[in-house]
Amino acid sequence: MKASIKVALAGNPNSGKTTIFNSLTGARQHVGNYPGVTVEKKEGTCRHGDVQIQVVDLPGTYSLSAYSIEELVARDFIVEEKPDVVVDIIDASNLERNLYLAVQIMELGVPLVLAFNMSDTAKARGYEFDLETLSELLSAPIVTTVGNKGEGITELLDAIVSAAAKQDTWQSAKIVYGKEVEEELAKLAPLVARETAAAEKYGLRWLTVKLLENDQSLLEMVSSPELLAAVEASSKHLQGIFGDPPEIVITDRRYGFISGACTETVRSTVEARHTMSDKIDTVVTNRLLGLPIFFAMMYLVFQLTFTIGDPFMGWIEQIFGWLGGIIEGFWPAGSESALKSLLVDGIIGGVGGVIVFLPNILLLFMAIAILEDSGYMARAAFIMDHLMHKIGLHGKSFIPLVIGFGCTIPAIMATRTLESRRDRLTTMLVAPLMSCGARLPIYALIIPAFFPQQWHAPMLWIIYLIGIILAIVCAKLLRATLFKGESTPFVMELPPYRVPTLRGIVIHMWDRGWMYLKKAGTIILGISILLWAMTTYPKKEVFARDYPAEIAQLQAAYPKDTGVKNAEALQAKIMNLQQAQRAEELTYSIAGRIGHGLEPLLKPMGFDWRVGTALIGAFAAKEVFVAQMGIVFSVGEADAESEVLRDRLRENYTPLAAFCIMIFCLISTPCMATIAVTRRESNSWGWALFQLGGLTALAYVLTVFVYQAGSLLSIGTG
Amino acid sequence: MSKTLSASLEDYLEAIFHISAQKQAARPKDISKRLKVNNSSVTGALKLLAGKGLVNYAPYEIVTLTGKGKTLAEDIVRRHETLRDFFEKVLAVSHEDAEEAACKMEHVVSREVLENLIQFTEFVETCPRGGSKWVSGFRYHCDAGGEHADCEQCITLCLEDFKQANAGDKTGEAVSLHELNPGQKGKVIKLRAKGEARKRIAEMGLTRGALVEVERVAPLGDPLEVKVKGYHLSLRKEEADTIDVERI
Repeated sequence: MKASIKVALAGNPNSGKTTIFNSLTGARQHVGNYPGVTVEKKEGTCRHGDVQIQVVDLPGTYSLSAYSIEELVARDFIVEEKPDVVVDIIDASNLERNLYLAVQIMELGVPLVLAFNMSDTAKARGYEFDLETLSELLSAPIVTTVGNKGEGITELLDAIVSAAAKQDTWQSAKIVYGKEVEEELAKLAPLVARETAAAEKYGLRWLTVKLLENDQSLLEMVSSPELLAAVEASSKHLQGIFGDPPEIVITDRRYGFISGACTETVRSTVEARHTMSDKIDTVVTNRLLGLPIFFAMMYLVFQLTFTIGDPFMGWIEQIFGWLGGIIEGFWPAGSESALKSLLVDGIIGGVGGVIVFLPNILLLFMAIAILEDSGYMARAAFIMDHLMHKIGLHGKSFIPLVIGFGCTIPAIMATRTLESRRDRLTTMLVAPLMSCGARLPIYALIIPAFFPQQWHAPMLWIIYLIGIILAIVCAKLLRATLFKGESTPFVMELPPYRVPTLRGIVIHMWDRGWMYLKKAGTIILGISILLWAMTTYPKKEVFARDYPAEIAQLQAAYPKDTGVKNAEALQAKIMNLQQAQRAEELTYSIAGRIGHGLEPLLKPMGFDWRVGTALIGAFAAKEVFVAQMGIVFSVGEADAESEVLRDRLRENYTPLAAFCIMIFCLISTPCMATIAVTRRESNSWGWALFQLGGLTALAYVLTVFVYQAGSLLSIGTG
Repeated sequence: MSKTLSASLEDYLEAIFHISAQKQAARPKDISKRLKVNNSSVTGALKLLAGKGLVNYAPYEIVTLTGKGKTLAEDIVRRHETLRDFFEKVLAVSHEDAEEAACKMEHVVSREVLENLIQFTEFVETCPRGGSKWVSGFRYHCDAGGEHADCEQCITLCLEDFKQANAGDKTGEAVSLHELNPGQKGKVIKLRAKGEARKRIAEMGLTRGALVEVERVAPLGDPLEVKVKGYHLSLRKEEADTIDVERI
């Protein structure tokens, strides 16, 4: 017996595969990517007796055809990596459709263990299985499990180990496709064996069947025109006999085999017409109640993310402020040091800026995990599809777009649930228009500074609404131009409602949170340092005023014994001078120079060089804009609640210009991390740069329009 | 053409048409008997008709219609029948009265009036809001002297009948899954989608012979939720439209 074996977990979406994976591996898991594609790869290990088991969680799929990247990845993994055993997690309460995947894995000839998961639900629904006979019919051991209670895991491991031991003599059940199809298969097989190099790897019969099934990714591998012609001829022949192309006939036959096996071995004892899940659905997807419930859910998700997240954000900010203070303490007060500045402003500031959003991200993904694991997410797509389809998107696009309100990075990552590349790219490109959480501090700074109390909330709504409307328009535009063509079929399972497990939610949160830190963290840190350099260098040596001399003068003019009041006034004056010096330094720096250089371009939007400089900083992360404004206005460290900064803004800008700043921040280039994630998810710099350029151009045009129109009509100019 | 023919000549032509249809050829005796006129009148009329090239006539021989005569006769017969049917079926006049009125009116009704009358009769017969029930409603109205029946109930019944008739019509025929209402079931006959979409639909279990039940329609009217192989699946209407099912 091998001391270590490799196991692949396959299964339909919603079959409880992730729960079984978590039960098998516990915390010993690692999330990565399959090479070359953007499908997530989860790996973990566990020990059973003396055997070390490496478990790979394949993406959840309904089939192994080349319909989606996920299916291709799962198939290639089984074929290329040759796991010792494939475990197919089967939702026992939805047996027939789940067995469709099992049958295809069977055809690949790998040792297969079937885990009949959720066997408790199946029992409650009145299903009784003759597992022994079924196991014989399918030539695969069957283990019953209850994933969320951890039942049957030991038995599953036993079955895995013993199946691995038998892998050299493994015999899979064979599906016979009927006389006509078998004749064509027999005709093609020798040709396939002769003309393709891959026959051995995939198994001759499997490859022949797949070619006859018109599997594009495999047909592309075939270079022999003779074989292609033969496949075409067989396909025509069968089409003539059945009136359907072979892939449909073959699918029919597979389901025929399954339903034959099920009639023999499955008995339904209770007439299970209206399950609990059906009852919930009659309310949740009700014609009248469906939409209100949906919006209530979205509101709850939003509230959970932001209301509960806020205090945590505050604490994180305090911790980083404290950390910065400690580091600063290593240098004598008032001394200038490039290293200190790099550590405090560049690194700690940058890392803090990343981590500060972690509570929001975690809470958001907690909400999403609950919605997903409970089965509501599919209903949300079901309810919203009509609307989303109208703007050229898919019901599932709604989910990434909602996530976009939290943070664009996970939103773009969440587009993975979309099967078609067109739908994915469209969703990905418009996702940044959903005003993310990082833009909130900008609104939070500006709105109270310029607008009366009763306008605070409506103003925020208007900003968000503009983003949504633009996203709709852009999506429509993209679908009408770049992504023309049929939309993918909306064939989506509505899984039964389930109570989510705490463990599942925690693991999901952890995964996403970690991914955010890793992805966004590294990039933002890098850019923070770059931007720190841009805002610090070149160092100004000669100032317009001799600040140290003026400070010394002031100190000399105020005798030490004139009381507390004078001392305070002195301090304030000194601070003013220091801040003026700081502002002068920033103006002299690269960022300041770029800001100045851009001023002619910024003028039509009502911006001055200061906004330009701050926008350069905001490229690292939108919320950096606030801190940058604080520096250019020499008010020192500023946050979204800074009243001093608000005063300075009021002195320098009209409400119209302030509104334009918000509009520009809403639409323009998302942060550097967004571009990087888009590049990764779309697998092309082209799309990432298209997003960058497109959004910036859109923001510019619209902001100019708003500012010019507003100025002309004298709205908010006073 | 009919304008050039007098009412009585039209009657002769009509009579010859009917007698020919029964006995292959008409003798003047049959004609005089049918029209209840004397033989000499028949001879005179036949000479006139022959002069117009509508009948083949020679004394003591059988009478046949020429091609032109036959066309004209058919036209007259059609007018007669249309009028009679209208009186009888729509206006609920007795058969005898209808025949008599039709005989008289057929000669003077213009083509346009006639065409519209034909269409109207057809319309009444086929439109779900008319039909035999509606006509019998009119009969009831005539008999009961203008009493109003329960209109709402009548309309409801009419609608149900219409739905039933429609469903009945299509038994065994292909209906698209889209056409099933929530709660209705069907058996998949054929997938008409193309390429990948069709394959995906089949792989999700909508194979030939699979039972499928429409569960509900999404709040915004699209997509549909169907139940197949014991689980729930959602499909857009445009996809459901490509799935042919047999109503159960």
